[in-house]
Amino acid sequence: MTTISAQFRNYREPTKDEGIREFFNAHPAGPDDIPPTGKDVTEISAVMSLKGEDQSYSGRLYLMPPFLAFVSLDRKSARFTLPLYTIRRVEKVNSRAGMFELSLVLWHQMKINVQLTSLRPTADSFCAQLRDALKAQLPQMKKLRPFIRVCYSEHLIKQDGEEYIDAEDDVKDGLEDGVDETIKEAQTEFLGGLGLTFKFPGDPKKLREKSKLKLWKEYLRTHGRNVTLVRYPSVQRLIQVGLPNRLRGDLWETLSGSVYLRFANQGVYEGILAKHKGETSTSTEDIEKDLNRSLPEYRAYQTEIGIGTLRRVLTAYSWKNREVGYCQAMNILVAAILIYMSEEQAFWLLEVLCNRLLPGYYSPSMHGTLLDQRVFESLVSRCLPIISDHFHTVDVQLSVASLPWFLSLYINSMPMIFAFRIVDCFFAMGPKVLFQIGLAILKINGEKLLEIQDDGGFIHLMRDYFNTLGDSAHPHASDSRMRAITNFQELLVVAFREFSVITDDTITSERKRHRNEIVSGIESFTKRAAVRNLKESGAFKKEQLGAIYDTLYKAICAVSASGSGASALAALETTDAQGRPETRIDLKTFRIFLSNVATWARDESIVSNAFVERIDRTVAEHELINRIFFFWDVSHRGALSFQDIVTGLNGVMFNDLMSNIEWFFTLHDKDKDGFLTRDDVLQLSESLLFIFRNEIGDAYLGTVSNFMTNAFEYGDALQPENNEKAEVPEGERAPEPPTNTPYLNLATFRMVVLADELLESFFDTDFSATFKLDIYPGPESPSESTGLIAGIGGLLSNLITDENKKTLNRFADEFGKSIGRHQVTYRPAIGKVDRDMALQEPKTRESLLSPQIRDRSMSSGSLTSGASSTSLAASTSEPLTPGLLPPQLPTIPALPERTPFAIDEVQDDDEDEEDEDDLVVTGGDETLDERSLTSLFKVDAFLQENA
Amino acid sequence: MAESGDAPVDKPVQVKLVLLGEAAVGKSSVVMRFVQNDFSENKEPTIGAAFLTQKCRLEDRVLRYEIWDTAGQERFHSLAPMYYRNAQAAVVVYDITKASSLEKAKSWVKELQRQANPNIVIALVGNKLDLVQSPAAAGAAPAGEEAEDEEADDATATPGEGGEQPLPEPEQEGESLRQVPKDEAAAYAQEAGLLFAETSAKTGEGVVEVFTEIAKKIPIEHILASTRGGSGSRAGGAQARPNVTLQEGQQPAGGKACNC
Repeated sequence: MTTISAQFRNYREPTKDEGIREFFNAHPAGPDDIPPTGKDVTEISAVMSLKGEDQSYSGRLYLMPPFLAFVSLDRKSARFTLPLYTIRRVEKVNSRAGMFELSLVLWHQMKINVQLTSLRPTADSFCAQLRDALKAQLPQMKKLRPFIRVCYSEHLIKQDGEEYIDAEDDVKDGLEDGVDETIKEAQTEFLGGLGLTFKFPGDPKKLREKSKLKLWKEYLRTHGRNVTLVRYPSVQRLIQVGLPNRLRGDLWETLSGSVYLRFANQGVYEGILAKHKGETSTSTEDIEKDLNRSLPEYRAYQTEIGIGTLRRVLTAYSWKNREVGYCQAMNILVAAILIYMSEEQAFWLLEVLCNRLLPGYYSPSMHGTLLDQRVFESLVSRCLPIISDHFHTVDVQLSVASLPWFLSLYINSMPMIFAFRIVDCFFAMGPKVLFQIGLAILKINGEKLLEIQDDGGFIHLMRDYFNTLGDSAHPHASDSRMRAITNFQELLVVAFREFSVITDDTITSERKRHRNEIVSGIESFTKRAAVRNLKESGAFKKEQLGAIYDTLYKAICAVSASGSGASALAALETTDAQGRPETRIDLKTFRIFLSNVATWARDESIVSNAFVERIDRTVAEHELINRIFFFWDVSHRGALSFQDIVTGLNGVMFNDLMSNIEWFFTLHDKDKDGFLTRDDVLQLSESLLFIFRNEIGDAYLGTVSNFMTNAFEYGDALQPENNEKAEVPEGERAPEPPTNTPYLNLATFRMVVLADELLESFFDTDFSATFKLDIYPGPESPSESTGLIAGIGGLLSNLITDENKKTLNRFADEFGKSIGRHQVTYRPAIGKVDRDMALQEPKTRESLLSPQIRDRSMSSGSLTSGASSTSLAASTSEPLTPGLLPPQLPTIPALPERTPFAIDEVQDDDEDEEDEDDLVVTGGDETLDERSLTSLFKVDAFLQENA
Repeated sequence: MAESGDAPVDKPVQVKLVLLGEAAVGKSSVVMRFVQNDFSENKEPTIGAAFLTQKCRLEDRVLRYEIWDTAGQERFHSLAPMYYRNAQAAVVVYDITKASSLEKAKSWVKELQRQANPNIVIALVGNKLDLVQSPAAAGAAPAGEEAEDEEADDATATPGEGGEQPLPEPEQEGESLRQVPKDEAAAYAQEAGLLFAETSAKTGEGVVEVFTEIAKKIPIEHILASTRGGSGSRAGGAQARPNVTLQEGQQPAGGKACNC
């Protein structure tokens, strides 16, 4: 089976708080930062102004530890995300009456004023929370200086020789200061990428690097930098003209928020590398194949230095995020960002890319990629209907061209210098940029696109267009300024002006709209592939294999959904014999799977209360199920593949009498030596009891007890040492033979089984019939109800989810109990025994031993008295009809109510009957209860005696 | 597209061909050899799929192959249908020095036969022949059913301006690297109704022939008919076309190799 990721199936829309954190890239970096309880994000209306800027903005201020964030009402003009550890001082400004204003002094000496425009109590409570949160983050401040010092943005400001870190005076922690001061001057080292050594792509003069750097220097000096950047409208323009190469890595980190992750996880990257040094995995093998083909035209990647850098980042990430591992296209992305950033910076940026900016893009199912392609298609049909229609007419699929655009952030499609400018905007403004650019590309090429006839033409057209991005968009214009506009500039203008309607919300809602379609598409594809790739499909038909797959998949989903987050993996991703990824399931998942296939592997109770009747289903746990799991685990991996399960089911579902007996025998033959030990026989009996636990009446119980008696009697008789034991005087127990020596072979087992009608029928057809592949309809159990209530029920079922359904059920149960109409009955696994038969006396046992052996074994003090049992059989074999029932029998309303395992509850009552000779049923006129107690006791006694 | 206008007499027939196979078996290299008659160790990786075209002359007809060279990594598998839909031909590549790659190839064949255009012409290609050849063996004519290889060899043996002309490494023990016996793969191909060849993208051996053989099998008349009939209907496949027998030996051995 190919891999299945249940994660995206169990996708849950982010909560409002999560959405806000998403917007600000303000994700808690570690589990410590998540507040234990209560509200995660506190927000308040505020007007923000920055000292040195005239403009102030009204918007919302958010406190979400460890961050304080602000965004203007239009959600783009002004915003900041400030880690609380960068706030050096908070003062309450007492200006005009009734105004509540806070003044924040940041690490980089900027002063931000926020006027809280809410009512006084709200503002007070916000301030109190802010104070607590600031206090909690205080220890982090110590780490700030060494962290910031190596940022290129600091270096850039410092170049002017200005004293920029006044903050040092305040936060002297003494520890490193002595050393620090001396080396500070000499310290010119800063973080940067391969570009510093191998040159950056593009001509610095043409890119106007110097003037860009100058503008940024001015901006960063007054608006903060790296961890404290405050975004004002001018920053948008600075980003859209392209970031200066030297500052690019620094700003990518800041704009995407990966810098906060790096701050909170210092040393983690190196740690991962050290921990997995020398280890390999399928991901590392895949990485090796691609190292030499990641931006090979860039000079660094023709050297060991560049290759080594790339290898370390990709490998470390594949260890960090095993679910993703490594996906082709990540190599291109990482190769690109490593030109501008250090390894550790790139590592955390990759984390942000894979988790937040491009969710699910690189996962094994690539569901994120497929989803966004679907979203893009839908946006094209909405915004560019003519092109979309033409594509439909000529049967051209948009994704053949657009998939690599999204998957490699255009880096693989356009000349690098242009792609990087798109990446700049992408980090600053989020995933919508990819869509806006894509739409603009199509729009600009609209006329030519209407002429294409096939995929090939589409690809060629796009390729030609990308190759002319640097050319003038209006080569024949008379105005020289018009002529100077390149195709790329035109592209950005179209993208951000004409497609500004595409917002984050558009993307979110489109993703939501198409998610199910994509999920079911992937699921059916995976299913088809899994079924097709089975090596052995046994006697199953294709639909049955599909049903097995579905059931398995549901089990995996059920476990992942119930598990706490990602830590509970229902499916294990391993590799098959060919080294292909493969999903295997563990025991826990297997139990759920089996419970949906075999009737005896679940407990089904029919709960009826005043309203409705419903079926509650729980997964049974028993040694038998574990036994089957390990029996089917032929490669001894402690986990089953789809193939293992198909082969396993095939080995039991189509069996006839003899092969079922053999299957059961082999299953319990622990050492597979062809003999059951005494232990094995007991285990086998317990398995049978387990299967029969919910059957009505005592017929099966009696059968199992007879089976055991027979098995042990026969087994003892066949023991070679039995003859010597014959010497043991009557009344004294022969010493028990060791419980783990070979005891019963298949032929004997078969004989014992065939001696009992019910067991024979069980092994002949009933057992195989307990396996059913039609799929359980899920939580929506068939509910039978009448009248008004049915109407309400129907209405309700449309409204209620699983969770409140549980609540509803609980309520209904309570109510049913209160009016005395609550009833729970267990569904039998076989259900063959009907009510009449249930009332029958369990058949008494006939010894299977031939008279000679029996004599011998009887004289040796063996267990039962054959004579009495046969005579009793005669007296009890007559079926009792309900009319003849003794009056004290309880009337049976629907199905008799009983607990699944009555044995333990009754054993105490019968202690005085411990004498083994009394183990036989002694009379036909007992009540049903007494009879069942007796046979229960028989079983119990045997278990005790032989355990 | 330039070709999409009116149809001159020898307007090339467009054939959509898709390359499938496990990662790193040399799909891209095979295409590169065919399209540019070149070989490079460090190929740009394939994201989703690379698209290339190459014309191929076969007797009186000119075919224009539109080649989709797909990514081999397993997780890109679910994207493959996008590329093989409407394809008239498929080259399924495996690595003769890696047994598991044939298994993957077989599963691709299965998938194509069930999901793709019902009349798709599939060629099974075992690549990296250079790794198992001693220099002596390389020159010798391949044995058995592929008698036409010998003639076709001439076509490929004249490299373009590349001048690289890599010689097979002198590895006497080369055969031991082989994990997939030729007979076994050929037998499977025969049984599954596939064209079959072993190639070396590095030396160029057998590569062009694969595409020539495919060209011979392609129901060109049908493609022309359906393209004329309306561009949307190409997906269907050939109802009217008589069944093509996909056995190797029946081809006229004298077919001119691609004139690339």
